[in-house]
Parts: sequence; C-alpha cells; structure tokens
Amino acid sequence: MKKTEMNSHSKGIWVFGDYRHYFQNRVTLQLIAKANTLAQRLGAEVTVVVLGEQVHQYAMEYVAHGADVVMVVDHPSLKNFQVETYSRLVAALVEDYRPEVFLAGATPFGREFFPRLAKRLKTGLSTDCIALEVDAETQLLLQTTPAFGGELLAEVITQNHRPQMATVHPGVFEERIHDSRAVGRIIYPEVDIHPDERVQLVCSRPEQSKKGYLENAAVVIVGGRGIGSGEQFQSLFDLAELLQGEVGATRPAVRAGLTGEDRLLGQTGKSVKPRLLITVGTSGALQYTTGIQGSETIIAINRDAQAPIFKIADLGLVGDAHSILTLLLEKLRKRL
Amino acid sequence: MIIHRESLIGAYHNYLVNNMLSPGFFVGDPHSQDDFYFLADIMLPEEVVPAISARLFDRQGLLLLELKRNSLAENQGHCTLETTPGGFRIVCPSDELLLEVNTQRFANGYLTRIKAQLYDGSNILRIEPLHEGVQVYGQACLALDAPFEFHKR
Amino acid sequence: MDIVVCIKQVPDVPNIRLDKHRMTIIREGVESIINPLDCVALEAAVDLRERQGGRITVLSMGPPQSEEALREALAFGADQAILLTDPAFGGADTLATSHVLATAISMLKPFPDLVLCGKQTIDSDTGHVGPQIAEELDLPQVCGVNEIHLQGDSLVVKRLYDGFLDTFRVNTPALLTVSQELSSPHHIPLADLERAFSDREIIRWGLKDLSLKPEEVGLGGSATRVWKLHKAAPKRRGEVVTGSPQSLVEHLIRKLEALSILDEENGNE
Repeated sequence: MKKTEMNSHSKGIWVFGDYRHYFQNRVTLQLIAKANTLAQRLGAEVTVVVLGEQVHQYAMEYVAHGADVVMVVDHPSLKNFQVETYSRLVAALVEDYRPEVFLAGATPFGREFFPRLAKRLKTGLSTDCIALEVDAETQLLLQTTPAFGGELLAEVITQNHRPQMATVHPGVFEERIHDSRAVGRIIYPEVDIHPDERVQLVCSRPEQSKKGYLENAAVVIVGGRGIGSGEQFQSLFDLAELLQGEVGATRPAVRAGLTGEDRLLGQTGKSVKPRLLITVGTSGALQYTTGIQGSETIIAINRDAQAPIFKIADLGLVGDAHSILTLLLEKLRKRL
Repeated sequence: MIIHRESLIGAYHNYLVNNMLSPGFFVGDPHSQDDFYFLADIMLPEEVVPAISARLFDRQGLLLLELKRNSLAENQGHCTLETTPGGFRIVCPSDELLLEVNTQRFANGYLTRIKAQLYDGSNILRIEPLHEGVQVYGQACLALDAPFEFHKR
Repeated sequence: MDIVVCIKQVPDVPNIRLDKHRMTIIREGVESIINPLDCVALEAAVDLRERQGGRITVLSMGPPQSEEALREALAFGADQAILLTDPAFGGADTLATSHVLATAISMLKPFPDLVLCGKQTIDSDTGHVGPQIAEELDLPQVCGVNEIHLQGDSLVVKRLYDGFLDTFRVNTPALLTVSQELSSPHHIPLADLERAFSDREIIRWGLKDLSLKPEEVGLGGSATRVWKLHKAAPKRRGEVVTGSPQSLVEHLIRKLEALSILDEENGNE
C-alpha cells in the first residue's frame, strides 16, 4: 500500500473529475494517467477535483487509477454540472491551493466550463490538446493543439500565468489499470457554494432520435462527390448493410443532393472514429478528413491516384468507384 | 484561507466516519484487555466483507459483548447478532439496535455505513450517528493505513 | 429585445493553402468569410427581432478588412455594426479578445438582453470567446444551443450535449453560443448587399475609445502564446494499389478479412 506524506508545499497537477457518464469518466482516467507522468517530471502530486452529490465511489475510483489526492465537495446543489456555479467554486479552490497545472477532458462540458474558469482566473487555456509534455529547460507545460483543421500543430505555452490550463482530446492518453491496493489522501475543503439561479436545467433526456448512429457505428462507409448519382449512392447503403455499418457523406455530396445533412462528416458535421472507414469518391479535402482521421483503419477508393485522401488511408484503391462497388457487393452477397 | 478536513481513502473499500471516507478506523484502544474499543478494520482486495471488532458496554458500565471480526466472542448481554442483506446488526434483549453494519457494492469497490450509538465503560458517548456514517469521540485513530495487528511482536 | 452578435472574419478554410516552408497560411487570394456559425447566430437574432422587436448590434474584433464582414452582417439585417480595430489588438489569444469584446458590449446603451456567438470558429476552433465574454460580463451562458424560445423575461433553450437533449430556462441578460442546427442563414438579397457597401456606416472603436491600456489587449493581454508551429506528421502511409476492378476487390476483401470484418473464407468460424 502506498504511504502518502503530508506535503502542503508540493506542486499540484489537478485534474477535473468528470464522472457523469461512462465516456466522460474514461477521459478523466486517461487524464489522471497523463497527470502522473507530468507529475514525475515536475515533482508534483496529482489531485482530482470531484464535485457533486454522493461522489464516494468516484473518489475511490480515481485513487485506484492513480490520483494521489482527491479533493471532494459533496453537496446537493452540485448535483447538476452547472457552469456558473462550478466556475465560482473551483476558482475559489484554485486561488487558495494554487495548482501548477489544471487539466480537463475536451468533452462538451469541459469545453464550456474550462474557458469560463480560465477567464475567471485570468490565466491561459489551450483546447483539445493532442499532446502534453514538460519542457526540460523551462519546466513549462507544452500544450500541442491542432490548428487550421489539423494540418498544423501548434505548441502553446502559458509563461507567466497560473495554473497552466488545458483541455485534452478524449482518447489521446491511456488510462492506468485499476489498482485495488492504492491508498490516497482525501481532502474536504470547507467552501461556500453559491448556486447560480439564473440558469435552470428544466430537463435532460437521452436523445430520442437515432442521431448517435454514425458516431457509434463500428463500420462507416462514406460517399463523396465522386459518386455519380443517387442510385450509385444507394450502393453505399447496400454495402453498409452487409458490413453492419452506417453511411456518411462529404459536404459536396450533400450539396449535390445525394443524401441528407444528418450524414455529413467533417468540420461542420460529425466526427467519427470507427474501426473501419471506407471512403469512396472523396478527394480528401481538409474539412472532411478532420472528421474521420480518428478512424482505426481507412480504406479509400478514388479514380485519381493523386487525390489527397490517399495520404491518410491505410489502403488506397485507384479505380472507378462504381465498378469496384458493384463487384464488391456481388462478391460479398455470395459469401454472407 | 480555505480550511479542509483530511483523511485517507482506499481504492477498494472505505467507511464513513466524521463525515469523511476512511479505509479503516478505531475508537478506544483495541489492544486493551478490559476497556471499550471499536475497530473497523481495513478490507483487503481478497475480502468481500469488512471485519468489525469491538468490546461494548451498556449505560451502567457493564460489559455487553465482545465482537471479534464479526463474530461474538463474549455475549454477557445476551444480544442477538442477525445477518442482513448488506451485512449484520446487533440487537439488545430490549429490542434496542446496538450496531448496524451495511456494505454497499460499487462496480469496483465497497462502502460501509455504520449505524451505532455507543458508550464506553464510564458511560461516555464515544460513537453516534452522523449523516450516513458515524461521528467518533475521544481517543481514536481516524484512518488506518494498514490492517490492524492485534498481536504485537 | 436588444441583441449583440459577435462575429469573426475568417479565411475560407476549405480553400486555404499552406506555405510549407514558412509554416504559415497563405492568405493572398483566399476569400474571407463570416465564420459560418456566426451567420447562424445572425439569423437567430433576426428571427428574434421579428418576434420581439428591438435592435441588433453586430461586433467584430479584427484588422480593418473585417469591415467587409460587418457590411455583410448589416445586409443580413443588423441595425448597427461596430468594428473593434487597433494595431494594439493584434496577437491576441482568447483571453485578450474576450476582454476587448466584453468591454465594447459593456459600453452599449442600453446593455443588451442577449449576446449571441457562434459556438466556435473554423480557423481557431477553440470555442473559448463566448464563455469568456460571459464570465467577464457576469452573464449566464448556455453553449451549443439549437433551439431558442421566448418565455416572458426569460429564454427557454435546448442543446444536444454528450448524448443528452438538455432544456434550460435562462434569465436575461444572457449569452448563448449557437450550433449549426439552430437556423439556416437566409440568402442576402443583392440590393441589400450593395446598400451595405455603399450607404451604411461602420462605427470603429480602437484602444482609446474602449479606454483600455495596451497591456490589457493583444499580445500583452494574452496568457498563452504559440511557441512553435509545425506540420502534423502524416498519420498513416498505407499502400496504394492500382489494377483491374477484380484485383482491387480481391485486395479489399483480403483486407476486410485481415481486420476481422469478414471471416476468412473456408476458415474457422
């Protein structure tokens, strides 16, 4: 069992503990793992901040996954993650405990909470980081974020303001294995809570529509402008059905009326990270590929050997989409 | 300047004492031969129930019972130990609830809530309910970092 | 209802090209547009004005050429346009940018009932500025709104968030950032556009007009800075295959088997 020492002068690397649903909690665990790496470099300890009501099990889970300290504020009025209430409370904690670094997941909540908090603290924030390192010389946190649709990477630093804040792209870091033998410290700060009455959550319900279907699919088939007609676009749906996948489209394909806006992938549409993505008749424009670059495997079909899409594909087939799809469907139907 | 209360927290199992999580605690002196004590021991990852040991007295200062890791070793007070879905409870002949131990299971861990109002041999209140757990008074260790060893070498 | 819409002129990112040697964006010849989500915000403002009456003020912080975007916004239906421009504002991160915008908003008389922003921009994509303006002006915020309804003195708004559809009641004044689904921006009639470029006035405010000090704005007022910029490493370098449709399909099917998307033929089930 880990013996922790009382060290109030230790530098702090804080992680915001978002535990609400499975996905968000996983991101928190990923951040705790990365925070530990950063903590080693900085001689710091990792504190996870947990706000809410009846949060005991989450506090325990964070210790199991590497937190040195969990800081808990447990109160009924904190049950809903409310941006204004949380900003005020967490800012008071930060101003008192003065962490060096503060991380949160770049989930929708993180992306609206952390900017407000950073502003309140008048400090710097970088968003949707895909890498974090400690610079050997300056001991500053190097925050790498994608710029201009992901073609460039910007390394951002916060030189003179503290804490150095960053939200991190989900899935970039890997969580540590659960350690049942871990022991940590738990701190219960006595703070005033000022619930902000100006915003009231009236109701919250899981989406009724099938809107999550594209994001949840293991296989995604995407059609671009290279698909000649609505009829040919139908063959993508046939292929998706055979492979138990879903169909997406690029902006030019949607504009051409080949399918609806709800299937749009890319910067102004959805982002998907399926196991397999087959992209057909798409040239590979940046504002499309940012929506698919998280896919595990990308197979591209395009008649133009120079199309940029081939630069991000694991397998590229240069040929006529229509012929390839027709033949593929024929062969698959025979064996499935 | 923000003040805070502090305790230890175990990844696997905790009790609720003085409104804080704690992997294990004791009140009084568990090493003593004749005096009041209450020990909620650390639960190891191989175990699934917390081990509670205690030497309990009534309001008149008479020894009621001795509990050794959830079993009655002595029972002058003729109390009843009943198992419950989440743990166990000890009831006096007068039907008064002496002690209740309830363990909740999470996906990856356990939380034990104790309900008790206990006095030592001098009729001083040592343990009473507080929110979902207990508040303890007097000589106590609020957070164990290792399982308690009864037999000192 | 007095509404402020914050807009940003951005390069038309899909058509952007990279100067690979100097690691910068080639702006020459690249069209500038109003950030698409800001157009959605403008449309929502126009819609609300139709229902409630009031005035729409559009604000933008940027170099002098951002004036084009403001003229377009006037043609879109804004009543008043203010360009916040000053050499001192350059090099700002979102902390400094939100400070300039919030200061300008606080100077408006009357103080607006509602501030609208696009949820994020297509160039920097942070989504910070809305929440940071809200914090500075102490306004309640809801981000990513896709529906707005009026209910007395408050607004009832909805947004899709982490798999949940949330409904909020918000007191005004408030700040909302909008998402794509909120509205479809209408086409601006050519006559309105022409009038915006010839007749309409753009108010310009600089550092002095906002009573700000140089260290509060631009690079000096920023907490973050870009230390290095480099090309993203190509993530994959797969094989590119040519041949007859038959051979290509064979190749594809073998790949699907290798990925366990298909069971291998005559193999173990």
